[in-house]
Amino acid sequence: MKRRALIAAALGTLVAASLAASASADPQAGARSEAAAVSCRGTINIGNLTVLTGPAAFLGQSQQSWAELAAKRVGAQLGLRARVIGFDTTLDPAVALTAAQRLVGNRSVIATIGPATSGGVAATSRTLADARVVHVTPSATAAALTKGGSPTATGFFYRIVADDSVQGTGQAKYAIDRLNADKATVFDAQEPYSVGLANTVERYLERRNVTVQRLSVTNSTSDFSSFVTRIPSDTDVVFTPFQVAANANQIAVLLKEQGKRAVVFGGDGTVDPAFKVPGSYVSNFAPDLASIPGRAAILNAWRRDNPGRTPDVFGPPAYGAVQSILYAVKRACAGKSSVERINVKRKMKSGPIPNWILGGSFRYSSKTNDPLNGGFWLYQVQANGSLKQIGRL
Amino acid sequence: MDYDKLFQTIVNAATLGSTYALIALGYTIVYGILKLLNFAHGDVFMVGAYVGFGILTLFGGALDPSISIWLVLILMTIAAMVACAVLGVVIERFAYRPLRSAPRIAPLISALGVSFFLSYSVQLLFGAQQRTYDSFNWDGGKLFEPAITIGSFTISWLRVITIVASIVLMLALWYLVSRTRTGKAMRATSIDLDAAAMMGIDIDKVIRFAFVLAGALAGAAGVLFALRTYLVPSMGFTPGLFAFTAAVIGGIGSIPGAMLGGILLGTVEALTVTYVTEWIGIPVGLSNLVIFSLLIVFLLIRPQGILGRPDIKKV
Amino acid sequence: MSEAQGPRIGEDEWVARSGENIERHRLLRLADRVPGWARLLLFVAAVAAIPLITDDGYINVVVFDTLIFCLLAIGLNVVVGWGGLLDLGYIAFFGVGAYTYAILSSEQFGLHVSSFAVLAISVVVGALLGLLVGLPSWRLSGDYLAIVTLFVYQIFISLATNGNDLFGFDLTGGVNGIANLDPFDLFGRELVVAKQGIFNSNYVYLALGIFVVVFVALYLVNHSRIGRAWRALREDELAAELMGMPTDWLKLLAFAFGAAVAALTGSLFASLKVGVFPETFSLTLLITVYAMLILGGVGSQTGAVLGAVVVYVFLEALRDPDVSGWVFYVTILLALLLVVRPRWMVAGVLAATVAFGFVVHAIAGAIDETWTTSAGPDADSVTRFLDAWVVIPATPGDARAIAYIGLIALVLFCTTVKGVWRWLALVPTLYLAAFVWENIMSADPDVTRFVLLGALLVSVMVIRPSGILGERRVEIV
Repeated sequence: MKRRALIAAALGTLVAASLAASASADPQAGARSEAAAVSCRGTINIGNLTVLTGPAAFLGQSQQSWAELAAKRVGAQLGLRARVIGFDTTLDPAVALTAAQRLVGNRSVIATIGPATSGGVAATSRTLADARVVHVTPSATAAALTKGGSPTATGFFYRIVADDSVQGTGQAKYAIDRLNADKATVFDAQEPYSVGLANTVERYLERRNVTVQRLSVTNSTSDFSSFVTRIPSDTDVVFTPFQVAANANQIAVLLKEQGKRAVVFGGDGTVDPAFKVPGSYVSNFAPDLASIPGRAAILNAWRRDNPGRTPDVFGPPAYGAVQSILYAVKRACAGKSSVERINVKRKMKSGPIPNWILGGSFRYSSKTNDPLNGGFWLYQVQANGSLKQIGRL
Repeated sequence: MDYDKLFQTIVNAATLGSTYALIALGYTIVYGILKLLNFAHGDVFMVGAYVGFGILTLFGGALDPSISIWLVLILMTIAAMVACAVLGVVIERFAYRPLRSAPRIAPLISALGVSFFLSYSVQLLFGAQQRTYDSFNWDGGKLFEPAITIGSFTISWLRVITIVASIVLMLALWYLVSRTRTGKAMRATSIDLDAAAMMGIDIDKVIRFAFVLAGALAGAAGVLFALRTYLVPSMGFTPGLFAFTAAVIGGIGSIPGAMLGGILLGTVEALTVTYVTEWIGIPVGLSNLVIFSLLIVFLLIRPQGILGRPDIKKV
Repeated sequence: MSEAQGPRIGEDEWVARSGENIERHRLLRLADRVPGWARLLLFVAAVAAIPLITDDGYINVVVFDTLIFCLLAIGLNVVVGWGGLLDLGYIAFFGVGAYTYAILSSEQFGLHVSSFAVLAISVVVGALLGLLVGLPSWRLSGDYLAIVTLFVYQIFISLATNGNDLFGFDLTGGVNGIANLDPFDLFGRELVVAKQGIFNSNYVYLALGIFVVVFVALYLVNHSRIGRAWRALREDELAAELMGMPTDWLKLLAFAFGAAVAALTGSLFASLKVGVFPETFSLTLLITVYAMLILGGVGSQTGAVLGAVVVYVFLEALRDPDVSGWVFYVTILLALLLVVRPRWMVAGVLAATVAFGFVVHAIAGAIDETWTTSAGPDADSVTRFLDAWVVIPATPGDARAIAYIGLIALVLFCTTVKGVWRWLALVPTLYLAAFVWENIMSADPDVTRFVLLGALLVSVMVIRPSGILGERRVEIV
């Protein structure tokens, strides 16, 4: 008897829940669908979906500091009061999704920079697009986000740095043309960034008839000795597009230890003091800021705001992303007193962005939301561990 | 026949195996007495590596040490061994001892909690990003220069130091366990705890000794491991898992078994990555899968391990 | 902190203290009087009310996630609590369920199977896998089984991350996972995941409904012959076997049930999350679920749910920098109230700590100005209050590690001493705790919450191994 009552109660609850669900199949209709408008004269809140904690936290912290600088300086130049709010995505795309949902629920946030990782973009672009939030990434370089048959990201996704199809192809081309490589090994670390970049490199190499060995390590592999042992001693180039520079460095060190002559190419994820075997190459989507004339003032301003820290190459693109958004906001605010999320989207590509942090002025491509003439820069590690800029890929 | 590749694989196997053996010894010693899977042991290993890092920083870092870098290495190892021995004793005293009469699952869960606590605490204090001893730049790169040359094949100083140090430690352990009184008491306790207690052996002291040994070995292993790889708060998990498996394969509770198991597992790993995955034709990223599958099969066939005694339950 | 009384000759200690125990658990016994179905109804009503009160998408996601964890906890309870087996690969089944949904309801293979059918398939797949994974339990006992299940988990992760190239066949999307999953379809009506980015609260009701069904189903199983057989198995495996029970099959059954529940939960989880990625199914997740079950009480379904709610809310609250400080200090306060006797002494200890703090603050400020930063002009009153007596140096440097280790040492010290020494030691301990929080922990809430969870897990195990509502067991060796 008791048992039957229980079963009845259970089924009854399920039915009730289902009815409730199907009855109100149109949730939060009405007032919610009206996006809140933000006053042009008040504080413009820009989100920053990035990796603030975890192994890649240096990336997010750097981006946040440069974004805050941009909000101050560019905001002052444009007569806007802007603020950057960080939302931690970590490296787990599912956490990125929760962060995006939190951001979207904050009605005062008008647009966002980031997500910083390609996996994060894939997971959150639809949620952000549904809420009409423009997201401009300064670091997610997976080509599949905007290119290919079915791009993973939505139309609200923008990128102000070139993508991996440029980086991978560029590196491979340099290795073949300048270093005469005809045998190569390509690593990946079983996560979206490295796999995407590795695939691009491998494809180009194979097209140019280079013998390619592909090796895949897990993110928990710590001792690469056995992997390096597999690399034939007549290999010319080893590509290590890792996000963890110390791993790439270990491979370079092991190659020397095992008497192999191959030269190591790291990706933009390995631009880090830990990657320091002289002679290795590394590429990045931004040139060294100090090499661009006229940027000393910005560098000094950043140093003043961030005592004790050294500027890196990842931060300035975040500055650029904020520039892009603030110009769109300024254009959307022309002649109006308030602005909504959708207005920002409409003005994103309505004009060039002058005084671009990475030199010259910036334009988006008319076909995709990628930069019109995005490029990657190649560096080589010197004997004292510093990076020397070689040129554009 | 690529002899260079073969020799290199042998060296890799020895290096990997020695690390696993050192950690496995810690697992087996503790399990032998307490019948407890010390999940936190891998993280003790990790703490050892970080203590080494702290000492290295204290003496000025890899590039500009205030005393000879080789002396620093010795100090790092000693400091790590001491710190981990103390850590092991503290963990035992506060997380395991209160649970000696609790159901078997309780200290296991407690160990999981300690493991969690340790790795996230280190992350809190040191950050989650990778750090290195920068061993490539020690003394102008001396560590990676050849120490032994056989024809065209070379073994670097790093490997030699790692393997020799591990052998020395294992010999020291063997001496402590088989030739000293406390060692004898330890062996007696691991055979039958109650009988040993009734014979007048101070069980608490024996257990403390066991954790000191386990911790010291793990600490040393941590420094040696970080010397050729890197440091990250989660670095203890996979080596810990592999080392525990090595202990089980060798026969848990048996000290020579742990050493054997460690070497064996190191060899399996080196062979799988370098040769086997190529032969079978699967991507090398699946090597872990191969290794784990083999281990499961082995455990099912012979659960007591190679040198272990079958576990007979007396009613 | 009452003194433990030594055993008296001729009296059983447990029996002698039974009066004290009954007195202590008066509150729990009150809760016991409320019949099971009423408690369930109360829970359902409370959860169902939340989406009606607030339409903040984030809160609704948190509620949904809490229900997912509740489901995971009661599923784990079957394996660990009722079957008595340590399954460290539990999250693998959760992942399998999620990937099943992803494979059957997305563009990956162009399949769009109806959602309830997917749930049913997940349950079957989970059960079959559970049977498979449970097979080693026939040959291996507790600890070995734990290791084998851990291997199974590693194999799952390995397959999930490399599954995009299984002999040329893309099964799991590899590292990128499978994105753009179909939303749940309820009898033909599609449940939109989010409207303008705001999470659809109907998912909460869906999860609630499924939770109730699973909860009741498991309850019925536990009160059937199988449940009774499991209890016998837990108490004394050898005796059960000698009585003729098919212990091997019973263990397998526990595994299968747990795995089936986990797989079901995985599918439900995937339907909301838009995508499945290998990183989600981490070891941290496994230990979190274990913590929930342990805290709530192994063997008790209500305990599992309670543990899940408490731990998850605790974790989420600690993530928010504004709320986390409150949560930390309130938790310490509660811990003090629970442990310190007589209760009024708590106020005394707190006052002493603050006074101690003022003294230290003054001394530190006198030695070096940068050792005590002052709160900015727009800090709230609580921050200003804390700032007055907690030393917050501008550049903590090495002091962080020293303070942290010092705090751990002091806390452990407090547990070993008794009497007056304990009062005295408590004051610097509390001060150091505030110091560590303000300087180290609050800067990194995502990491801190797991540190605290680990500490909580150990503490609960040591103080009360059976959890809050678990059945207390005495093992006869």
